[in-house]
Amino acid sequence: MNDQVGVLPGTLDLLILKATSLGKLHGYGVLLRIEQISGGALHIQQGALYPALYRLEHQGLIESEWGVSENNRKAKFYRLTAAGRQRLGQETASWNYLAKAIALALSAAPQEIR
Amino acid sequence: MVRMISGLVARTCSLWRGIRRGDGLLAEMDEEFRLHLELRTEDLTRSGLPPEEARRQARIEFGSTERYKDEGRESRGLRHFDDVRMSWLDVKLGVRMLVKYPGLTLTGGLAFAFAIWVAAAAFEFAGQVLSPRLPLPDADRVVALESWDAAASSAEPRVLHDFAAWRAGLKSVAELGAYRLAQRNLIASDGEPRPAEVAEISASAFRVALARPRLGRALGDADERPGAPAVAVIGHDLWQARFGGDPNVVGRVVQLGRTPTTVVGVMPEGFAFPVAQSLWVPLRLSPLDYPRGEGPALRLFARLAPGASLAEAQAELTTWGRRAAADFPSTHQYLRPRVMPYAQSVALISGSELFVTRASYGFFVMLVVLICGNVALLMFARAATREGEIIIRNALGASRGRIVGQLFAEALVLLGVAAAAGLWAAGLGVRLLVHAIEANSGQRLPFWFHADLSPWTVLYAVGLTVLGAAVAGVLPALKVTRGLQARLRQAAAGAGGLRFGGIWTAVIVAQIAVTLGFPVVAFNVARDAVNTRAMVADFPATEFLSARIALDREPPPGADTSFAAFVARQQATVRELARRLRAEPAVVGVTLANRLPRMDHPPYMIEVDSGGAAPEHPGFPGGYRTSSATVDADYFHVLGAPVRAGRAFHAGDFAPDSRVVIVNESFVRLVLGGRNPIGRRLRHPSGAGGPLSGGVEPGPWHEIVGVVPDLGMSKATDPKVAGFYQPLAADVAGPLHVAVHVRGGDAAAFAPRLRAVAAAADPTLRVDAVARMDTLSDPAIQFSTFWVRLLAVVSAVAMLLSMAGIYAVMSFTVARRTREIGIRVALGASRRRVVAAVFARPLAQVGLGAVAGGVLTVLLGGGVEQATPGALVGALVYTVLMLGVCLLACIVPTRRALQVQPTEALRADG
Repeated sequence: MNDQVGVLPGTLDLLILKATSLGKLHGYGVLLRIEQISGGALHIQQGALYPALYRLEHQGLIESEWGVSENNRKAKFYRLTAAGRQRLGQETASWNYLAKAIALALSAAPQEIR
Repeated sequence: MVRMISGLVARTCSLWRGIRRGDGLLAEMDEEFRLHLELRTEDLTRSGLPPEEARRQARIEFGSTERYKDEGRESRGLRHFDDVRMSWLDVKLGVRMLVKYPGLTLTGGLAFAFAIWVAAAAFEFAGQVLSPRLPLPDADRVVALESWDAAASSAEPRVLHDFAAWRAGLKSVAELGAYRLAQRNLIASDGEPRPAEVAEISASAFRVALARPRLGRALGDADERPGAPAVAVIGHDLWQARFGGDPNVVGRVVQLGRTPTTVVGVMPEGFAFPVAQSLWVPLRLSPLDYPRGEGPALRLFARLAPGASLAEAQAELTTWGRRAAADFPSTHQYLRPRVMPYAQSVALISGSELFVTRASYGFFVMLVVLICGNVALLMFARAATREGEIIIRNALGASRGRIVGQLFAEALVLLGVAAAAGLWAAGLGVRLLVHAIEANSGQRLPFWFHADLSPWTVLYAVGLTVLGAAVAGVLPALKVTRGLQARLRQAAAGAGGLRFGGIWTAVIVAQIAVTLGFPVVAFNVARDAVNTRAMVADFPATEFLSARIALDREPPPGADTSFAAFVARQQATVRELARRLRAEPAVVGVTLANRLPRMDHPPYMIEVDSGGAAPEHPGFPGGYRTSSATVDADYFHVLGAPVRAGRAFHAGDFAPDSRVVIVNESFVRLVLGGRNPIGRRLRHPSGAGGPLSGGVEPGPWHEIVGVVPDLGMSKATDPKVAGFYQPLAADVAGPLHVAVHVRGGDAAAFAPRLRAVAAAADPTLRVDAVARMDTLSDPAIQFSTFWVRLLAVVSAVAMLLSMAGIYAVMSFTVARRTREIGIRVALGASRRRVVAAVFARPLAQVGLGAVAGGVLTVLLGGGVEQATPGALVGALVYTVLMLGVCLLACIVPTRRALQVQPTEALRADG
């Protein structure tokens, strides 16, 4: 089995919110941060990151500003907004709830349903 | 909820940023993607890949940048805007189109500029009339108060007692003041008495208007006390005109009527409170001098007290009114005090003028509709000629929305340029209008009128432009782009595509109908003025100078204050003036009358005795409408009008109980049917009103003693009206007109001498409306003349533009059929058949339009029975002219098409 999995549809936004909650990042930085905090287990189609970033910015969950990257290039940095932090909390809670429910469901043994 | 709203705000801002930045957004995305690829390449290089391979790998991992850019735009909600967004390119294309089609640019542009000019000027003027804005600080708190008489449906002006009570008692208004206007002769430093309108006004006026004098002081409460020295404040205009802008004018003594008055202040330019005044004296009235419900006519003004609203002020007044009605039922039973925004209390336009203005607004709306239809037709014709280009653009991937956007942009550019020109002209137009109205009426407009365009008018013009562009750009574009795919196939197969469909046929027909019907409005108004000017008085009018003469009501010290005494004094003074004028060497003769030839003579009903008469007019049964004037004994002699039958007035006719009249020739013809008038009698029937009226009873019979020629005694619409003259009795109260026959040369040159003689006769004698008699006419006639000129110019231009439009469209529709004509000719069709086929449709359109226009003409013209043979011939000539233009528009391109070789015709594009 491959050691990397694709992200589930709809979870990329959540991952971006989490990544940006740890500090302001440019687009490529977001990608590296997600790989880093997921222990390299998640694979993201790199270009797909950007439409997601714009969508979140459009929704007011993250905000951007232009700055200078580590290689001294002009770069756009993204940062979580207050609304984004609130959304991250809600989404995390509901993800955990869902994951727990699914884990529970998947761990059900035949004798438990009798 | 808060989250929803903040989310919505964020989205809107983001959308707005996206739309505003447009292409900048794409550049930003490029920048971001490039950085991403570079950083990834560096990482891959560090992990051991050769640089070239690392770059390739990074690109593969990233995926299609174009796709993500598209998705990026989509996620910002910008996708929908791509279709209809107009780019700078569209605007540039629009400008290029203006240059490429100069004919359309000129015709359509001029037409729309003209429409905007008229619409904006009318809108501005209407705005200033209907919702005026006072140019005073905190102007919306300035109010007027009045006592509305519910029984008489008019304001009761004799409010001195209420004024005193309100001033003392009302809490919701402050600085309550009153004024009345009076004409006085002002003798200033130039020594010449000239009439001036004086506002006798409470000192609080200057506090209500929050105005500070430019020199000296304003009026103060102390000036209102009886016995205080006579003082006056003058306006900037008067200061400049009569005092030469003298900086030391404060403290000067001038004579106002009979009263030496000290000038104590000069108000700044533009200050003309309460309406359009330039001279203010304190109002000194005590309620003790008059019983309740009597006294002079006053108008009241105030400021709302701090914190009070108009509704609160009205509530307080209503309460007061109820109490007053209970306390003083004999005077206050039907009085309803009310308060209103200040400018509302001064009715600016009334009666016939209001009607003229309203009719004109209808006319302007019609004009704008007409022109928008015209421009839309032209734009459609142009869009149709570019059908090939549009089909190809569509085939190359431009969406329908994109093409519509482009055509809209082109229309917007054309109309925008036109609207800018139109607005500029409208600014000029309003200025001219204000000047013309002031010059014509001899009065200044209320001070809140101004000659500039308000932002609302500009906004209105912008709105009209966008609307116009939508009509003239989007509608044709939608029509042209409908079924593009099918037409692409047709075009490839070589068939000409687009035709003017049903809607456009309707537009053309409407256009022709309105163009036909539209000068009728102008014609109706014009008839009045033309007739007035056509009145030829049988005397050398250029040798006569006329003036209106009136005396100040203010009696000399110690004189009788009654009205009868005033009338007697006025007539004695005017007769003294006439005597002095006759002694002047340059004067041939002088006469007096209450109305002179060419002035408006209001008509009244009369009936004649039973000696036989002409048939009555069906509209006025029970008598005849006749005009009348009151004249001095030598009137006909001085004007050189021979007595045709009977005799002129003699001294005995001027006795109070004399009952004689002299009639004009039209009277003999129209009222008596040509019978001998001498010895016949006439009177006003009961309740008719008029100079001989007996009130409810019929007036007394008057005997006709003579006949004179028609002397331009007329209501404006009919030069040959029946009229009669009666002797100028000693009790005629209104102002009199003096007509001076001057020996040789220009009578106008005698004007200064006339003023000097009048001043010498009595300094309180007011002389105004001095004019040579050939230029004489009433303000009412002048006003309609002015409107007629305006409407005539507007009509002429509109017709010209409309004809140009019809010509363009007609010739276009025929030219579109070049190919068809070529094929028919090639197949051996006779020329006559081809011409008949080509003409059928335009002819049908013109015919339909003419019929519709005829119906419109009858509706607007107020019925057929009014149509004179002359008017019918005029309408016929006009219809033939229009038909000619339309046919010409078809003939030229048809001839061209017939001469084309069939092979060339087949090659023709569409």
